Amino acid sequence: MDKIKSVIEKQIKYAVFPIVCVDHCTRLTGTTFADVSCDGEKIAQVLEYGYSLYEYDMVLLFVDAYVEAQALGCPVSFAPYATLLGPRSDQAYDRTGEVIKAAQLLKKKLKVPVFVSIKGPFTLASFLVGIQDFLKMVLKNPKEAEENLEHVMTFQLEYLKRLLEVGVNIFIGDPVASASVISPNVFKDFAYRPLDTLIKKIRDKGAVSGIHICGDTAPFIHVIDKLNPDILSIEDITLKTNIIKMGGVSTSTILHGDPSNIEDEVKKAMTKEPYLIVSTSCDVPVETNPENIKHMIACAREYSKN
Amino acid sequence: MDLRKLKKAVIEMDDKEVSKLVKAALQEHIDLNTVLNKGLIAGMKEVGELFIKKEYYVPEVLLASEAFYAGFNIIIPLLKSQNFKKAKVVIGVVKGDIHDIGKNIVKVLIQASGYDIIDLGKDVSVESFINTVVKEKPAVLAMSSLMTTTLIHMEDVIQELVKKDLRNGLKVIVGGAPVNEEFARKIGADGYAKDAARAVKLLDKLTSG
Repeated sequence: MDKIKSVIEKQIKYAVFPIVCVDHCTRLTGTTFADVSCDGEKIAQVLEYGYSLYEYDMVLLFVDAYVEAQALGCPVSFAPYATLLGPRSDQAYDRTGEVIKAAQLLKKKLKVPVFVSIKGPFTLASFLVGIQDFLKMVLKNPKEAEENLEHVMTFQLEYLKRLLEVGVNIFIGDPVASASVISPNVFKDFAYRPLDTLIKKIRDKGAVSGIHICGDTAPFIHVIDKLNPDILSIEDITLKTNIIKMGGVSTSTILHGDPSNIEDEVKKAMTKEPYLIVSTSCDVPVETNPENIKHMIACAREYSKN
Repeated sequence: MDLRKLKKAVIEMDDKEVSKLVKAALQEHIDLNTVLNKGLIAGMKEVGELFIKKEYYVPEVLLASEAFYAGFNIIIPLLKSQNFKKAKVVIGVVKGDIHDIGKNIVKVLIQASGYDIIDLGKDVSVESFINTVVKEKPAVLAMSSLMTTTLIHMEDVIQELVKKDLRNGLKVIVGGAPVNEEFARKIGADGYAKDAARAVKLLDKLTSG
């Protein structure tokens, strides 16, 4: 049973998926991120291991935030984990083929829905230009910012097409397009349209779409509402929206908290939200104790029975 | 010259206008401290308030910072260091982390509030923090991290300060997306600020005694 789809269709109330990604799974398997992150088979293997350990309701193929940026020329280092070393240069290295290979393997092997994470165009453009420079560009030279967005959109649309052919679902992560960083006007003028285009493409193919935005989203939650993805992963799940929310447990709690803190947050989230994908507010930190993740899932399963 | 114009130019993020007005103020022999305090610093203070009120966001603060520095860099060589009456602050992003936008915004607001700041940049090693504290004897050490994987280095620095007997009289403040009040307390920091404007208020509080 696809619990994620069932929650979206409001057939059941809750599903659970702490945002466990490749980095945490790599640590679990005792391999190095540098060894795994450029190899589709290894990416699939570590995610499969993570799933077998935690048994959550979906799998997210999120290698790191810089897959597309690196393909477009940004230098990235992989030790100990992915770090963006600078804006676009001549060091392009394309890992998208490996991500697609991993997506195919996971889709074949797992019974739960597989989501692949892609970058929101606003965030991707900021990686290419340099975050600080791009943020200034949107106010100082909007035309140039638009040109950069068009450039990354051409790439993202092609990448999205290849992923959708595999039959996976898509999560769009747009951490720079957060109200902790940009104003509602900048979101509306620069981040909205590209996201809208991507979501429509995903919907047209019958796949499930999700958006993840870090930090504060309150000032433009009404704009995100219009994007109408199937799932919205945000920090503050008390915000009013018609979209099925994903979240409830802070990354700080999953990393530093004890079982009672975790249980409190799960319970609180599930009491407040009639339909929810119980999750962490952002990706699970690499060094999180697996027992905390297991406890979070166990609590969500337990409260789902009520 | 009406220094409110200079303040307004900083708030409106107009670096060319700021540069023009500061040069004009120098030609009119207006006291440098007055130009700094009533024009540039007053402008950045207002920018900090607008940031707290969510009327300004990071892009606006970055451009206002550029406008501030367009004037500040003209004035600062002409001022003697003692004009900075407030405390000395050493700031840096911890080892392994190269995300420095937040730190840069904190830096400009701290500087605009009259603190003497030494910026160690990003990916700063424990040794570099310690050596700078020994050499510069700051009142405050400010560390930031955007990644959970590098947070641990904040604690490493604090433990090393204690080990080297440098903690007495030195306030340590921390910030960054994965940092919170509880974490700051746990690692033995003196304070945590959620954003740049609040970092200035925290500094004022910690250094006022």
